[in-house]
Amino acid sequence: MGKFLWSIRCFAIFVVAYSSLDCLSACFQAEQPDIQPPPNAEQLEFFEKKIRPLLVQHCFECHSINASRLKAGLTLDSRQAMIKGGDSGPALVPANALESLIVQAIRYDGFEMPPKGKLPAEDIDALTKWVEMGAPWPNESVSVDSPTQQVFDLQKRKSSHWAWQPVQNSQIPVVVDELWPKNAIDRFILSGLEHAGLKPTAPADKYALVRRLYFDLIGLPATPVQVLNYVNNTDEHATAKLVDQLLESPHFGERWGRHWLDLVRFAESRGHEFDNDAPYAYQYRDYIIRALNADVPYDQLVREHIAGDLLTSPRVHPTERFNESILGTGFWHLGEWVHSPVDIRKDESDRFDNMIDVMSKTFLGVTVSCARCHDHKFDAISTEDYYALAGFLQSSDYREVAFDSMEHNRTIGQQLAKLNGKFQSQVSALISKVAPTPFEGIERLSPAQADAIPDPAKANCLIVDYAAIGPNDFRSDGELFGKQARHVGQMFLSVSGGKSNLEFSRSNVAASDHFWDVIKKQESDSPNQMSGIGKLPRSGRTLNTPTFELRNGNVQCRLQGTGHIVACVDSHRLIAGPLHGETVRGIPKADGFQWVTMNLSRYVGHRLHLEFTPEVGALLEVQCVVQGAGSEQLKTIEDSSATLSNQVAEYAKEIEAAVQSDAMARESFSKLLDDWTRERNGLQQQVQTTSRLAMAMMDGTGEEEHLLIRGNSSNPGRSVPRRFLSAIDGPDAISIQVGSGRLQLAERINSPNNPLTSRVIVNRIWHHLMGRGIVPTTDDFGVLGQRPTHPELLDHLANQFVADSRSIKKMIRTIVLSKTYQMGSQASSAAIEMDPKNQFWHHHPQKRHEGETIRDTLLSISGRMDPTMYGPSIQVHLTNFMDGRGRPAKSGPLDGSNRRSIYLEVRRNFLSPMFVAFDTPTPFSSMGRRNVSNVPAQALILMNDPLVTELAKAWATRACQEVPLDDQLIPNARVNWMMLTAFNREASDLELASSRVFLEKHATQNGLTIRDDALWEDFAHALVNKKEFIFQR
Amino acid sequence: MNHCNRFRPTPINRRELLQRLGSGFGLTALAALMHDPAYGSEPGQASKADPKAGMPNHGLHHGAKAKSVIFLYMDGGPSQVDTFDPKPMLDKYHGKEPGEFFKVEATQFNNNGKVLASPWKFQQYGQCGLPVSQLFPNVATCADDLCVVRSMVSEFPEHTFANYFLHTGSGLQGRPSMGAWITYGLGSENQNLPGFVVVNGGLIPPGGLDCFGSGFLPASYQGSVFKPNGTAVANVQPLEISADRQRSKLAFANELDQLASDQFGTHDGIESAIRNYELASQMQTAIPELMAISGETQATQKMYGMDAAYEQTRIFATECLMARRLVERGVRFIELTCPSVSGDRWDQHSNLKEGHENNARAVDQPIAALLKDLKQRGLLDQTLVVWAGEFGRTPFAQGANGRDHNPFGFTIWLAGGGVKAGTAYGQTDEWGYKAIENRTEMHDLHATILHLLGVDHTRSTFRFGGRDMRLTDVKGHVVHKILA
Repeated sequence: MGKFLWSIRCFAIFVVAYSSLDCLSACFQAEQPDIQPPPNAEQLEFFEKKIRPLLVQHCFECHSINASRLKAGLTLDSRQAMIKGGDSGPALVPANALESLIVQAIRYDGFEMPPKGKLPAEDIDALTKWVEMGAPWPNESVSVDSPTQQVFDLQKRKSSHWAWQPVQNSQIPVVVDELWPKNAIDRFILSGLEHAGLKPTAPADKYALVRRLYFDLIGLPATPVQVLNYVNNTDEHATAKLVDQLLESPHFGERWGRHWLDLVRFAESRGHEFDNDAPYAYQYRDYIIRALNADVPYDQLVREHIAGDLLTSPRVHPTERFNESILGTGFWHLGEWVHSPVDIRKDESDRFDNMIDVMSKTFLGVTVSCARCHDHKFDAISTEDYYALAGFLQSSDYREVAFDSMEHNRTIGQQLAKLNGKFQSQVSALISKVAPTPFEGIERLSPAQADAIPDPAKANCLIVDYAAIGPNDFRSDGELFGKQARHVGQMFLSVSGGKSNLEFSRSNVAASDHFWDVIKKQESDSPNQMSGIGKLPRSGRTLNTPTFELRNGNVQCRLQGTGHIVACVDSHRLIAGPLHGETVRGIPKADGFQWVTMNLSRYVGHRLHLEFTPEVGALLEVQCVVQGAGSEQLKTIEDSSATLSNQVAEYAKEIEAAVQSDAMARESFSKLLDDWTRERNGLQQQVQTTSRLAMAMMDGTGEEEHLLIRGNSSNPGRSVPRRFLSAIDGPDAISIQVGSGRLQLAERINSPNNPLTSRVIVNRIWHHLMGRGIVPTTDDFGVLGQRPTHPELLDHLANQFVADSRSIKKMIRTIVLSKTYQMGSQASSAAIEMDPKNQFWHHHPQKRHEGETIRDTLLSISGRMDPTMYGPSIQVHLTNFMDGRGRPAKSGPLDGSNRRSIYLEVRRNFLSPMFVAFDTPTPFSSMGRRNVSNVPAQALILMNDPLVTELAKAWATRACQEVPLDDQLIPNARVNWMMLTAFNREASDLELASSRVFLEKHATQNGLTIRDDALWEDFAHALVNKKEFIFQR
Repeated sequence: MNHCNRFRPTPINRRELLQRLGSGFGLTALAALMHDPAYGSEPGQASKADPKAGMPNHGLHHGAKAKSVIFLYMDGGPSQVDTFDPKPMLDKYHGKEPGEFFKVEATQFNNNGKVLASPWKFQQYGQCGLPVSQLFPNVATCADDLCVVRSMVSEFPEHTFANYFLHTGSGLQGRPSMGAWITYGLGSENQNLPGFVVVNGGLIPPGGLDCFGSGFLPASYQGSVFKPNGTAVANVQPLEISADRQRSKLAFANELDQLASDQFGTHDGIESAIRNYELASQMQTAIPELMAISGETQATQKMYGMDAAYEQTRIFATECLMARRLVERGVRFIELTCPSVSGDRWDQHSNLKEGHENNARAVDQPIAALLKDLKQRGLLDQTLVVWAGEFGRTPFAQGANGRDHNPFGFTIWLAGGGVKAGTAYGQTDEWGYKAIENRTEMHDLHATILHLLGVDHTRSTFRFGGRDMRLTDVKGHVVHKILA
């Protein structure tokens, strides 16, 4: 929340106070009629002479009922209109210039009006004086209503646009040519063609089909053996078997994972000025590859992306047993991050904008972000819809989660709590037998009574008191702090340096436990990391307070131990100076409890929460957090804590004395402690001490976002309850008991009542296979997007997808086994004449390969490809032309260690020039459909790039080895093998002849012979520059 | 199905193209083809009234004043009060607390010091009497050609946001740079060189190469980064030991393409790809020609500062000479980035005097020479030169002797192609802090640049993500008062 709202609140208090003293109250509240004291002649003359001309000249262009384009919903045509105000509230408070927005605006205080330049001082003085006079205005009849504006009618828009309508059960059409169709898809397509008087073209030949299937399904060419096996296979199910085999290939996930990464603007650095690392982003990349290979049902994939951190039974990796589901939530956090924003709240709202943009385009194919500043210009999406979704993000947090160990250690944590409970009751039972007054003191100190912070200290300054924290507000990442606070008097086993002692908690605290010290320190693997937070050992080791609004710049934390406090203001976390350094504070060494004060005065009025992290191997106990407490208040808290602490110490002494005085009890007690320690140590052995990390969501305090007027973060309006798009789910808020409610959001996205989700994903699959979506604008099903060419087919596929348990692989299989997919790519000239854009699918369009595919093909045919999957990316290779701030100190290898392109690092500010030239998108928003441009740089790369020439050379060497020349030195066999390798087809006689001519001529010209590898290197490089190398039929 | 009238015309294929070339229709078609995205772009907002809106190469909307733009990008944000916007109040109140006189806005470093007088004297130049500080003695001699805008504002006090904003009209990464928009709209007049060239003198601005990206536009429009030395551009140097050897390979590849044409037919993408090889080969010769600066006369080289004692002056001199040569070759949009001087880009958070002097020393003489050279060759009229940083600097100190970022009021200047020469437009307050008269926003600057090139900024659109995107977003007004 911005400072502005706070000042409005102060103002509201001020107004009430002021109006009770004075009798001007009528003017202050918009809903009450304005009673203007009759202006005198002198005042009216002043108005007509000075004010009205000023308004006409400088304001009415944008703020009049006659304005051609009204701005900010504000008209200034009458006194009433001014008092009524616009988007930002009343513009005029008669007789109070200070509080009148119109005066603030012309003084350039907050608003800057007129925008083209500040008015001369005398005009500003005049208008100020006029407001102070009480804003005298002659009695004239002017409409207060806004000029006729186009009314945003969500229902009307919804009912008039196809995408919002329920998915229909399409009738499978009857066709004339019953022999052609193989499955339902074919009937839809053929029916369209027949109606248009068109015919499907002939089927693709087997060579074309096998190449198409390999590239479309796994993104790699078939080997000569694979081609020939398929082509020579007479089994009528050969194609189906090949498809099944390709769908089971681990390369499938790599191919389709890259498509998916385009949707989630995947990158491994944050861009902006210094291109900081986005640590562990590759874990998300690996997640999506695994998920696609495992054919995780799409609704589960959606659920994991939106709320994988909140699933009660997350999907675990089949062999490594780590939490897969939580990794999906990483997609939220793959965007650009900014360091040192001057307006930190605006930065947050920009970040949310991008997250909403990507989420809504990816899963729903609608552009919700267009409704950030105003209701959507074209679609049934309101500004409230946007902010209703923003609330889910406002209620969520970022973390780097220890996903390997979290599930296992959560179980250990539960067992530890159980074990502690067991021994606590056994020790209690023992003590109550021997203690003088059985445990009276401890019981008296139950949290409900003595332990809360005393009232005088609470007044207005308490943020969190771990004595009285609710179970939903006790939030931590990892197990260090347990799942609840330790209340005063509670016994616990203190183990340090191999010795264990029974202790009684001296205060109410959230306390870390040495039990977890066995967890090894995580070494950061981000060399390009400036974030001060990024280097702290925080993953799985934080205690988070609830979110609160900062009212006072001094935030005081009472705690003991060492570590760090991070104040997460407006979810800003890239702390790399010059600003915002004060949000990270080390805890100085001290004996016992101390107050650690954070000076956060820059952020008064903002919302934040604190995160506490103990030093590795150290303990941290947090008692309470207050803001702006005076020394008296602090002292009250200290005194009351001291009293409690002393009481506990007394009881502890009493108990010890009682136990010591009884030999039997002493022995039992000692045995109990030993058992407790032993069992505890045994359990500790089972702690998973290392874990990989990944970026993920974490639930925060449930909050509603405020609607930001015109998208301006310093101009918040009413708060909007969290809910899904009202066009789909109605205007009612989702009832959320605790946390962000993202899981409920996920269910709504997956709901059968939502017509978008299934249509959008089947359309994406169709797009990648058929070269164009049924809805060509894959990320925009809205009014400005294109209409489906075959709406019935789209709905048929959407229904079938749901019926097939939302299996992406099954949908791919269905499409590629259709006659439609298997059509040839040569259209008859008659068909081109009638349907030049192939709207009816009379042929299968040719496709140019992506930059990644071109590189992967080169690796594959040269035999250089390292098929290793997963893991940290290979650093990007830096050329001399890749320069700028944040340039990594070291360049990655030219050949990317021969790994597939999906494993090459994507740095926002250092994108691979080769990929960029071939239209790999800049990772800033969802890009379900890449551009396919033609630019000379592409030719230059294939002609002159060192990597291309190196791999062409390696391919030639391989060819020379694989196909030795016979005594006759006839090159045909080798030429044919190379064509089979690169183009997945046999060389034609003409090509063989032409190749021979070239080889002979080129050899002569360059002093080479047919036996020289160098000649074949040139031949290989020429084939790479044949267009067929980068196109598929 | 109803025909929606939004289909784009089918790009012509290569054979047709050759026929048309024969009939003298070639040049524009060639340019169009060069930038043909083949498929992938969404049909935009074309209508009967404006059939080419939302389409690449939509061409002129009205008569153009300028054909090319040279953007002298002053990375880091030169100080307005130390260059072209003198403020005597700073001398008068030097060392005083700025908060006593005006409200000090939040700054990037939050280390605000006292009112800081300019270390440089101003003098009036030319018939117009434009005041210019001692930092630009050479540019000052061109005062009568300059149109100084003293009332620029930006929305961002951080470099990266402000750089993206200046270059792309949005503070965030991923939008097309203005050079990309301009080549998208107008194409290039030279088929052998890219339409949008960035000559990198050494400093890539914060925000990185994406300041010159094509964003959601096809890759054809992205800025090509040239270096002012060596081969200038990546992959333009054949690796073969002889040009003949490469030619022989490519001829063979081409022959195979022709042989396979029965399988691939007349696919637009392949046709364009074939054409690209011709362009690429031509680029391999065009770029060495471009870089043959040694062929310039001694007098010209000297005028630019190729013999200057300061290495950074020599670098920027080469950049400016390249810019002129690129303009002569019909390149649409040329951006020059600054050489790296000791003490950072124009971003003097401390040591203002030394840092600004070094930066000015690097660019002053070459810029003045560029203006004069363009003028004497009759090119200045059709070339718009824009000198701008992403923001200005505070009139009060950062620390003792620096200045922090100031987006509230700063100075840029334009020259040539259709701007009113010898004028100053707009003004900042008496401190040089905030623009108070004729506030000119980044979108206004963009609208004006497009206008001078003959493009209506509201009609040059590209449909992406459910919107008809523009360089000027939903804003921007042409600043008519600075037009000649």
